[in-house]
Amino acid sequence: MRKLTIILVMVSIITATLIAQEITGLKVVENVYNRPTGNDQTADLTMSLVNSRGDERVRIINQFLKDFGDMEKKIMFFVSPADVYNTSFMNWSYDEVGKDDDQWIYLPALKRVKRISSDSKSDYFMGSDFTYDDLGDRHPSSDTHKLLREEEIDGEMCYVVESTPKEEEYMYSKTITWIVKDKWIGKKKEFYDEDDELLKTLTVKESVTLKDVIVITISEMHNVQSDHKTIMKLENVQVNTGVSDNKFTERMMKRGM
Amino acid sequence: MKRKNIILFLLLMATMTLNTQIIHHGFVRTYLGALTDQDGEYSVLKNTFDWRLDYGKGDVALYVNPVFDYNAMNDYLDISLRQAYMDIYFDNFDLRIGKQQIIWGKADGVFITDVISPRDLSEFILPEFEEIRIGTNAVKFDYYLGNSTFEAVWIPTFKSTILPEETSIWAPEMSYPLLFIDYEYSNIEVENKFSESEIAFKYSYLGSVIDFEMMVAYMWDDNPTMHIFAQPDSTILITSEHHRLPLAGASFSKVVGGAVVRGEGAYYFDKRFAPEEFTPNGVKEKDYVHYLIGYDHNWFGMNVSFQFIQEYILDYEEDIHNNEFSNTMTFLLTEDFLRETLRLEFFSYYGINNEDALLRPKIAYDLADGFEVQLGANIFVGDEGNFGQYNDNDMVYVKVRYDF
Repeated sequence: MRKLTIILVMVSIITATLIAQEITGLKVVENVYNRPTGNDQTADLTMSLVNSRGDERVRIINQFLKDFGDMEKKIMFFVSPADVYNTSFMNWSYDEVGKDDDQWIYLPALKRVKRISSDSKSDYFMGSDFTYDDLGDRHPSSDTHKLLREEEIDGEMCYVVESTPKEEEYMYSKTITWIVKDKWIGKKKEFYDEDDELLKTLTVKESVTLKDVIVITISEMHNVQSDHKTIMKLENVQVNTGVSDNKFTERMMKRGM
Repeated sequence: MKRKNIILFLLLMATMTLNTQIIHHGFVRTYLGALTDQDGEYSVLKNTFDWRLDYGKGDVALYVNPVFDYNAMNDYLDISLRQAYMDIYFDNFDLRIGKQQIIWGKADGVFITDVISPRDLSEFILPEFEEIRIGTNAVKFDYYLGNSTFEAVWIPTFKSTILPEETSIWAPEMSYPLLFIDYEYSNIEVENKFSESEIAFKYSYLGSVIDFEMMVAYMWDDNPTMHIFAQPDSTILITSEHHRLPLAGASFSKVVGGAVVRGEGAYYFDKRFAPEEFTPNGVKEKDYVHYLIGYDHNWFGMNVSFQFIQEYILDYEEDIHNNEFSNTMTFLLTEDFLRETLRLEFFSYYGINNEDALLRPKIAYDLADGFEVQLGANIFVGDEGNFGQYNDNDMVYVKVRYDF
C-alpha cells in the first residue's frame, strides 16, 4: 500500500511537471479567453474619469451581457451625465476569427437606432482611458504570445505574458499581462505605444466570485503619459439570472431600461 | 396668457402629486444669433426650457415634454407640448397613444420615408432636428418577432408643415411678382374626420448582415401645393391646398469594409407640382422618386459622412416649376478632442442644380458634464435654389445649454 502511494505521488508530480512545462503564452491567454463568465450578467457600471489635477467626471451605465454560444450580445443604457441620458449602445461580438462586431447606437434626440462601424476600436470610450478594444475580449489568435516569467503580485502567483499584435497598424506595439495561476484572470496589464514606451497600466483592484464565476468589480486604467486615470466600478452585479434574449433588440434600445 | 398659466399650474400640480415616481430631465438653453450681412442684426434671441417627464408603473409609462420658449425679440413666451403620450407594453407588442414624434428611415437630415411627423420650417432647417419635427397625434402599434418589427400608425387628424411667415427672413422666394398675386387659402384646411386620417405601415429588420425597412403610407402632402390660375384682370390667383400622397419606400444600412453604407428611397404617387404656365386645375400631377445613398466612415479618428440625394419627376413636362432631376449632396465631418469635451463639426448641403450650398461649421465645448457652449455659423452660398435664396441670411450664433 505504501509503495502504491509513493508511485501515485510520483506520477502526480511528474504529470504536474509535464503540464507546467507545456504551458505556453498562448495557452495562458487561451485559458483566460475561455474562462467561464456565466451565461448572462447584469451590472451598474460607474466610470470615474480623473485628470492630473484630480478633477473628476462620472459616467453611469446599466449594462446587460448574454452569451449566445458562438456570439455574445451586450447592451448598455447611459444614465449619466444628463446630456447622454437614455442613449443606448448595443454590441454583438462573434467567436469566429476575423468577424467584426456589429454595433448600433440609439440617440434619443434622433429617435433612431443607427448602425455604426466597429472599425474605430482605437477610439476612447466616453472620454475614458479605455478604448473600445480594451473593453472587448481580444481573440488570442490576434497576437503572438510569449510567456516571460512567473511572478507574485499581492500574494498571488501570476504568469507574465507578452502579447505582440500580428496586425501592423494596431494601436499598441505590445501588451504585458499578469495572469493569476489557476484562476485565469488578469491582475495587471501594461499597454505600450507605437514607440514601445509604456502608455497605460490596467490594475484589477477587486473581483468577486458569484455562482462560480469570477467577476472583476473594480479596475483602474492609468495613462502614465498624461497622468489621467479611469476607475471602473461594477455594482449590483448579477450572474446567470436568465436575462431574456429580447433584451438585446432594437425594441429595448428605444425603450430603455 | 391666462390659458398658458393654467397649463403651467396643472403641470406643476401633476408633477408635485406624482413627484416621487417621476423622472425629470431636459435642458435650459440660451440662443443668440446675428446676421452678418445685416450689420449684426439679431435674428434669434431665445431662451428655452425643455422639460421631459417620465413616469412608469408596471407595463404602462407616460412621457410628457412641455417646452417653454421665451423669444426676447418680441417679448413672447410660447408654451407647447412637443410630445405627450402613454406607452402600454405587452409581451410581444407595444402601443403608444398620444402626441409623438415618429422617425423612419436611414437618412441624415433628409426626409424621404420619414414622412410621418410634419416639420416646423419657420426657421428653415436650422434648428436641431428634434425641434424641427412636430409631434403628431397618433396611435402607434409595434409587434415584435425576433429581430423583426411590424409597425402600424394611425394619425386621426392631419397636421401640416409649419412654413415661415411671409415677413420672415426664411420665407421662400416667389417666382411671380408679388404685386400681381391674389392668395386664396379657403381650401387649405383638411377636415378633422375619420375619412381624412392618415395610415402608415412599416416592416423593419435589424440583424448581423443588414438592417432594412420597408414602408407604405397613405398620407397627406405636408406641404400645401400652390395652384396657379390666370384671372380675367391679368393678375394671378394662387390657391393653397393639401393633397393626398400615397407612397411606398425602403431603406437599409450595412457595414462594408469598415464603413457603413446606407440607402433610402421612396416612390410617391400623384404628387402635385406647381406649373410655370397656367393649366385648367392650376397644378400638375406626377409620380415622383426621391432617393439617397450614404457612406459613413471613420478616417484617422474623424467621422466622415457623405450623402447623395436625387429627386426625379417621372413623365416630366417642361412647364413644371421644379426641375426634372434635383440633385443634392451632404457632407458631415466631426471630430472629438480633449476626451470628448471639445467637438468640431462641419455639416453642409450642396445643391448641384443651382450650385448653391449651406455650410454649417460648429464648435462645442463642455464646460462641465452636461454644460455646453456652442459657437457656429450658417453660411449660404449661391443666388438661387433651396439654399442660395437665403444668401443674405448668413448668421453666426452662440448657444449655451445646460442639461439636467
